[in-house]
Amino acid sequence: MQNYDHDVIIAGAGIVGAAIAYHLAIAGLRVAVVDATGPAAAASGASDGAVSVASKKPGPMARLANASLLYTRDLAATGPLAGGFASRPAHIFGTGGAEIAAMDALIEKLAALAGPVRVVGDGPASRLPGMGAGIERLVTLDGEGHMPGHKAVRAYLATPGITPIWPAPVLGFDSDDRSVTLRLADRSLRAGRLVLALGVSTAAVLPGLPILPRSGQLLITDRGPPNELSGALTAAAYLVAKTVDAPTVPLSPVVLDPLATGQYLIGSSRENHGDPGTVDFATLRSILTRAVSVWPALRQRRVIRAFAGVRAAVSDGLPIVGPIAGDNRVFVATGFEGDGICLSALIGREVALMLRGLAPEAGVAADLARLSPSRFAPALLAAGAA
Amino acid sequence: MTGHVVWHGRRVAFRRGESLASALMAAGVHNLGQAATGQARGVFCGIGQCQNCLVRVGDRLTEACLLICEDGLIADPDAGGRDG
Amino acid sequence: MADAAVLIVGAGLAGLSAAISLAKAGISVRVVDRAPRPGGAIHRQPLPGVRSIASPAQMRRWAGVMAQVERHRARIEILCETGFGGLDYHGVALLTGKGVALFHPRALVLATGARERVQPRAGWTLPGVTTAGALQSGMKTTAEAPKGRILLAGSGPLLLAVGAELARLGSPPVAVVEAGRPFSHPVTAMRLPWSYLTEAALYLARLRAAGVPVLTGHHLTGITAEGQELLAQIEGPKGSRSLRVDRIGLHDGIAPNDLGVPDCPSIPVVRLGDCREALGARAALADGLAGGERLAALLLGSPPALATPKVDRERVAQGDLAQIYAHDGLKYLATQPAETVLCRCENRSLADLRALGPDPTPRQLRLDGRFAMGACQGRFCAEWVGRLAVPDHAPLMRIGADRWPAQPFTIADLVDAPEDV
Repeated sequence: MQNYDHDVIIAGAGIVGAAIAYHLAIAGLRVAVVDATGPAAAASGASDGAVSVASKKPGPMARLANASLLYTRDLAATGPLAGGFASRPAHIFGTGGAEIAAMDALIEKLAALAGPVRVVGDGPASRLPGMGAGIERLVTLDGEGHMPGHKAVRAYLATPGITPIWPAPVLGFDSDDRSVTLRLADRSLRAGRLVLALGVSTAAVLPGLPILPRSGQLLITDRGPPNELSGALTAAAYLVAKTVDAPTVPLSPVVLDPLATGQYLIGSSRENHGDPGTVDFATLRSILTRAVSVWPALRQRRVIRAFAGVRAAVSDGLPIVGPIAGDNRVFVATGFEGDGICLSALIGREVALMLRGLAPEAGVAADLARLSPSRFAPALLAAGAA
Repeated sequence: MTGHVVWHGRRVAFRRGESLASALMAAGVHNLGQAATGQARGVFCGIGQCQNCLVRVGDRLTEACLLICEDGLIADPDAGGRDG
Repeated sequence: MADAAVLIVGAGLAGLSAAISLAKAGISVRVVDRAPRPGGAIHRQPLPGVRSIASPAQMRRWAGVMAQVERHRARIEILCETGFGGLDYHGVALLTGKGVALFHPRALVLATGARERVQPRAGWTLPGVTTAGALQSGMKTTAEAPKGRILLAGSGPLLLAVGAELARLGSPPVAVVEAGRPFSHPVTAMRLPWSYLTEAALYLARLRAAGVPVLTGHHLTGITAEGQELLAQIEGPKGSRSLRVDRIGLHDGIAPNDLGVPDCPSIPVVRLGDCREALGARAALADGLAGGERLAALLLGSPPALATPKVDRERVAQGDLAQIYAHDGLKYLATQPAETVLCRCENRSLADLRALGPDPTPRQLRLDGRFAMGACQGRFCAEWVGRLAVPDHAPLMRIGADRWPAQPFTIADLVDAPEDV
């Protein structure tokens, strides 16, 4: 055993950092998780918790999401996510050419994946009692799920062998061929490996990483009858926003998420800035106008909180996962732009394998390779030189 | 007295300008139902801050202490998030 | 936006005195209040046709404020039964109820008064247990005392005021249980303004005449329901006893009621009166007038008004009162039964707080503990959860950053609100 404070330090106590920490800890490594604020303090705590394959772009993201969903179900069946993850139906609704086309593409994508997510209904919106008039088409999926980010983070971090360190903002790191040192305000920590899973803040520690903050406004209602709605109601415009490179979304990409408490979480906007204070009535009104047209019972629900979360988007639309170029002690796992909850189980497992120098599990190597930071190496090197 | 509201099927008199909470307390009604959390509903702060006296009027929940009575108003206890 | 009105939330002493100052300076204001009539908590007005129970001095003060309002009526618009949902990043305010609108004011004055602090105790969520202030506002509205046997408990001068009012309206409380020993600090008491002492003497005389015991140094530690009755457990220097009553009014002081309004970079936002610093009626009036003058100077680019000596005097007086009423009742907070509710909105208990483990972060208190996550935004639990969760630190008055709304609004309110810009 080397003379390290920890075998691995994870910077970032969000869902991705927590999942990596869990997989390392159960492999017997000594892990520290450092966070400026505490667990699930940023996007993981502000998210809706959807574990959705439907919303992923066809290709590597959809395939990885599919694999992560299967693995999340395993972890829920026997492991740390018991009680955190729940399977539930998903309803996608749409009106007008662009949305209808997105729903056709969705059905095609799911058929090609041949995964656990299946179309179990497709037709007029009236199939679902309570839906508003004027919705052209409703596709219902089986096999997707829901996992509140903060619950999963808490479950992962409760694993023996994980040392929590917060509040402790990360100031920077230094690495050489023997170890990596993480600089905090009042001390430094030495470890064999470092993982930067700081979400949108990762770019502050690793300048040059092309991470773009993308803020989203959400609101939550008070409690009402639980199970009024069996699963999230998602506008097909949301699929367009998530899967098309330069989307011209025809209608508001609203998602209505019924929570176990009988509350609704309703979101969200996609704004290219990182200020979580920018919550405004005009944006929420446009989201809610479509929400009540789809689910009229919402009209009399009371809003008890409105807020914004900041997602970490990447210029090419793919997360950044893997060792940074030229430094096999420092790894990155960020840039999930709202897909962190869904991908966290798989990414946690795979990054833990990478850190231990082991090969990926079968079937995901090629797609994981697409997420490597090496695709940005020139930009990173340029930033390092500056 | 200037009118009656119907609370949980029972007629309760009120004075002009009186809040539902005030009329109910004058009639000896303190238990205003049960919240979805299981918490008993009742007047607590009396001025719209605590959200403890929510009652059902039609399809919405509203603070009994801020709701001004009108003749024939129908209000019911919060039923713990269940219908009826 | 320069010619838009200033929005004032709260038509009590602070809000209306700010309105007067602004109007005098030529600035139009829109005052909104959820209540059916102006007055706020201190000058809550009776129902139409009901005689006010306010003292002559209180009536003179309010009449003076309303006369000034009338004099400047051209620039002061008052919308009652109108709620304030919040102020957004761009400076747009959502008004709900009778004055429903999305409104873009020139500046915002929050004059939403105080909230009552009530230390959680076993059984404090039972129907029939209210704040002492709720009993008081009921009496101000109806000029009638609540029915049945009433117990007042907690700490602070309001308990004596409410007790005296109950006695005057023919329903003296069974007892006033005061955790502090306000009569054991004569030296500090003599520093108080004369009006404080005469007011207290009047209340005490009324209580004594009605034979109401004022149990100082006593604590109401728990309440249980027995049929329609409430059984109050009281701890004192000579042991414990229980009292059987119908209603209980709790009160442990006041604090600013200013939650749910995040910072806004777009327009000036000022807090005035008890909503800024809970110093009571005299300070609220002075603070509103001075704060209104300061805001007018800011908006008009003229030299700012200076000190507010009246507010400073009240701060000293309230500091002395706090000394006089100091007590050790906080020790009963941590020793309550595990199932004692802390957060009334989400029904979260002392046991739920302890389940979070040592040193929970504010984020954990919210997300995992669900404290301050309910509809009241932590107005009634945050301080106590903060004291229990981080006992070595100064008490948190809120958990996490402020978020909308200032008060809940229905989705229909926002979707249908007309734009008034």
